[in-house]
Amino acid sequence: MKSKIEIHIPLIAGLIAMTSLVMSSCFGDEPDYCEADIETATLHVARPAEFFFQESDSLQVVFSTDSIITFAVRGNADVSALSPEFTLSPGASVSPASGSTHDFGQGPVIYTVTSQDGKWQRRYRVNVVPTLITVADTICYDFEHYEIEPTYKRYYMWLNPLPDGTMGHDWATANDGYRISMGSAAAMDYPTTPLADGHDGAAVCLTTRDTGPFGKMAQKRLAAGNMYLGTFDMKIAMSDHLHATRFGIPFTNMPNRFTGYYTYEPGPTVQDFYGNPIAGRTDSADVYAVFYRNHDAQGNPAVLYGDNVLTSELIVAVADLGYVSPTTTWTAWDVKFEYRKEVDQQLLADKGYSLAIVFSSSSSGGSFIGAIGSRLCIDQVRIICTHEE
Amino acid sequence: MRIHITYILFIVMMAAATTMGANASVLDSLSYDARLGYTVGGTIPTHIGKEIRGINSFNPGLNFSLAAEVTLPLGSRWAVHSGLRMELGSMDVDSRVKNYDIEVVRGDESLKGVFMGNVRIKTTQRRLTLPLQAQYSFSPEFRLRGGMFMGWLFSRKFWGWAYDGYLREGTPVGAKIEMGHDAGDRGDFDFDHNMRHMQWGLDVGADWQFHRRWGLFAELTYGFGGLFKSDFHSVQTLRPMYGTLGILYRIK
Repeated sequence: MKSKIEIHIPLIAGLIAMTSLVMSSCFGDEPDYCEADIETATLHVARPAEFFFQESDSLQVVFSTDSIITFAVRGNADVSALSPEFTLSPGASVSPASGSTHDFGQGPVIYTVTSQDGKWQRRYRVNVVPTLITVADTICYDFEHYEIEPTYKRYYMWLNPLPDGTMGHDWATANDGYRISMGSAAAMDYPTTPLADGHDGAAVCLTTRDTGPFGKMAQKRLAAGNMYLGTFDMKIAMSDHLHATRFGIPFTNMPNRFTGYYTYEPGPTVQDFYGNPIAGRTDSADVYAVFYRNHDAQGNPAVLYGDNVLTSELIVAVADLGYVSPTTTWTAWDVKFEYRKEVDQQLLADKGYSLAIVFSSSSSGGSFIGAIGSRLCIDQVRIICTHEE
Repeated sequence: MRIHITYILFIVMMAAATTMGANASVLDSLSYDARLGYTVGGTIPTHIGKEIRGINSFNPGLNFSLAAEVTLPLGSRWAVHSGLRMELGSMDVDSRVKNYDIEVVRGDESLKGVFMGNVRIKTTQRRLTLPLQAQYSFSPEFRLRGGMFMGWLFSRKFWGWAYDGYLREGTPVGAKIEMGHDAGDRGDFDFDHNMRHMQWGLDVGADWQFHRRWGLFAELTYGFGGLFKSDFHSVQTLRPMYGTLGILYRIK
């Protein structure tokens, strides 16, 4: 190893001159791994087509920030004797063992992962939930339920009531990514914040924020306020931000109209990628919904990302408000979904389609162009569906 | 501080001269030389921890040093040696790490955790050094010197980046944050202001006076104090260490 020899050059001089100060340049024994993650969870069953809505649902990729793993399976699936298998971070071990059989009808099973060095543990709750698809004609999102995110306790997250009475986490924001750059910010100074007095009850407010010294260093000088149906992949927020926003959740109905209320106040000065003001330009917001096929032609599960949410081949229908005219009073929108492709009803029933609703306070925020202070507030969002009888 | 050290040195030399009982001839007995050297090094880890899994590249830097030095004989073989040196040091090391504690600080914001991947560290330092050494002459041609030095960094830069890897935020079970390869996607750090100005440590050297005026010398300084202030823990302990090879010219 050439490099190892090079580092000895100054050390050889040291040995000659002062043997009492000899320093060891030998590499120590490799330290044990210290991570304790479930990276993927797989559920093998005899007849996957009868068990899962989509066969690809048998494999769950687990985010580093997740500690709950949920397999949503068909309502009539037998969950009394299942043996989930896990891939773990290197060197880690799990108890109960990967592949051990449990009755998930009794509720979730807690798995504890221990790092190779024995110093770290993580607990995961694994659920296998038989899901009856209830088809409502109108899906309502009112943003009344929000709380401080429990792990880091720095920013707000939103919950939505589900038809079965439980709370879902259908809405994602990039607040967790903002925490990397501006960890010291108060919860109400994050890009996505609640507004207690909205059009009707609480609303959500998206504000384009300065990302501070870290953002400047990383050439990501602003963070548009965003909120969308989907998930946020914290892991790649810094290295590949456009793919950190994973747009869409499975949707078993054909959306027809996309309605809601908004206010929008563009910030005073649009700045370019380098933070320089762009004279004469006013910031613009994004309000749109995209209905898409959630598997590609090869059958691999797919979501839409920041770089293809309006251009992907998988898109079936789009409802885009287009120009969001600035207004300080609550203003209604009602946009029809424009269908580009036929919908396969069986696939629809089997969760083969997803819906992404996307709001952003600066539509070029993904390129870090926008006006700091641009503020888009949203309330009473409705997806009105039609049935093919 | 420099003035203070000079003062102490002066007292020591004067005391030495006084013990010789030859005050009048002290100045006459001093010899002076000018030195020009290549300096290698700048900073060295105190030990290479097991978190460092490999060195992708290491460039200790190649820099000049310039010195004016003075020798006061204390008999036929022993002498006191001092002077003033200006040394330029640099280092550029790229290493592969595992479970490496790191903290990236920018303004009031910081991001710390455990990093797995690659870390590039670059540093440049300009140092003014005042040695105080005992010298022993084995022969008119060959002398060995050993003692201490005090150094003052008047220019210091220490920066780098964590790349092609990921950080576990806070602890090994914290959120995983990938660091990419290029500026903007990787984790840059900059610790200029966390470096100490003062350095001190051991200083040993050897001279070979092969000509009435000309000679060769080798010098090695090893700092006892860390490169960084004691409240700074973002990177592992590094110590200043310089090796110099060069030519000397006896002025008197």
